[in-house]
Amino acid sequence: MNPPESNDPLDALLSENDAYVEDHGFTARVLTALPPRRRRSRLRPALLLGATLIGFLLLAWWLPGLRNVFAASPSEGLSPNAQLFLVLGALFAASASLFLGLFAVLKWED
Amino acid sequence: MAFTDADLIARVLSQEDHNAFGELVRRYQSPVRAFLTKMTRGDSHLADDMAQETFLKAWKKLGTYRGEARFSTWLFGIAFNEFRGEARRRKEFALEDMAEPPPESAQAPAMAASNLRLDLTEALKVLTSLERASVVLCCQNGLSHEEAARVLECPLGTVKTNVLRGREKLRRKLSLEYQHYESA
Repeated sequence: MNPPESNDPLDALLSENDAYVEDHGFTARVLTALPPRRRRSRLRPALLLGATLIGFLLLAWWLPGLRNVFAASPSEGLSPNAQLFLVLGALFAASASLFLGLFAVLKWED
Repeated sequence: MAFTDADLIARVLSQEDHNAFGELVRRYQSPVRAFLTKMTRGDSHLADDMAQETFLKAWKKLGTYRGEARFSTWLFGIAFNEFRGEARRRKEFALEDMAEPPPESAQAPAMAASNLRLDLTEALKVLTSLERASVVLCCQNGLSHEEAARVLECPLGTVKTNVLRGREKLRRKLSLEYQHYESA
């Protein structure tokens, strides 16, 4: 809280200077200029979440296939460490996209 | 029975009730317009344009108002952002400190005949924008230092310093005006 500043002539002057401003049609002008409010869309967050989930499922389905490709031609493929990094990277990307999608849905505003 | 701000806001959000928003505008048009008039150093037309824009933005962003602060504090925040945007476009409302107050010679005849209220209006013009905003919000609109810091988006200590410095400048300026008036 602000410290009390009573008996200060400056405070009296400041409060006296704070006169009421008459409306004079201001409110009516504001109301005339109001645009239609955008309703909060329920479809968009659902689509966002759905697309993220589908992406995540597709990636999860695709990852074992990817591992098989590497296993079928080990001599031409990447080293086991590189494969591991690739799989972990893809998992991280999928998790991050799911997390960001959820975050976007939760924080969705007009 | 008078509706609370929270009731009116709920009606606007749920029913897009123009009358409820109109009541909010009627309640707060005076402090918002007065604040912006002081921030623009007395340009009431520009202040009204900014106040209208403030309420239009409030209408659009009302869904983001969480009720953590008073509705008036939230509105002052939008109003000050409007002023800040205008200040970027117009050099005369620049937020940086004014090196010197407006020339005395041009104002002296009017000052000698003016009353205390006009003296204060003139004295407020010599404050920097942040000092003026801090003094007007805290000393005229009854905001706490914490609320003013939220409105001005600056540290609490800065608001306290600006209020103290602004009040000191006002005292100095007003005492000079009284001396000038008495000697005239």
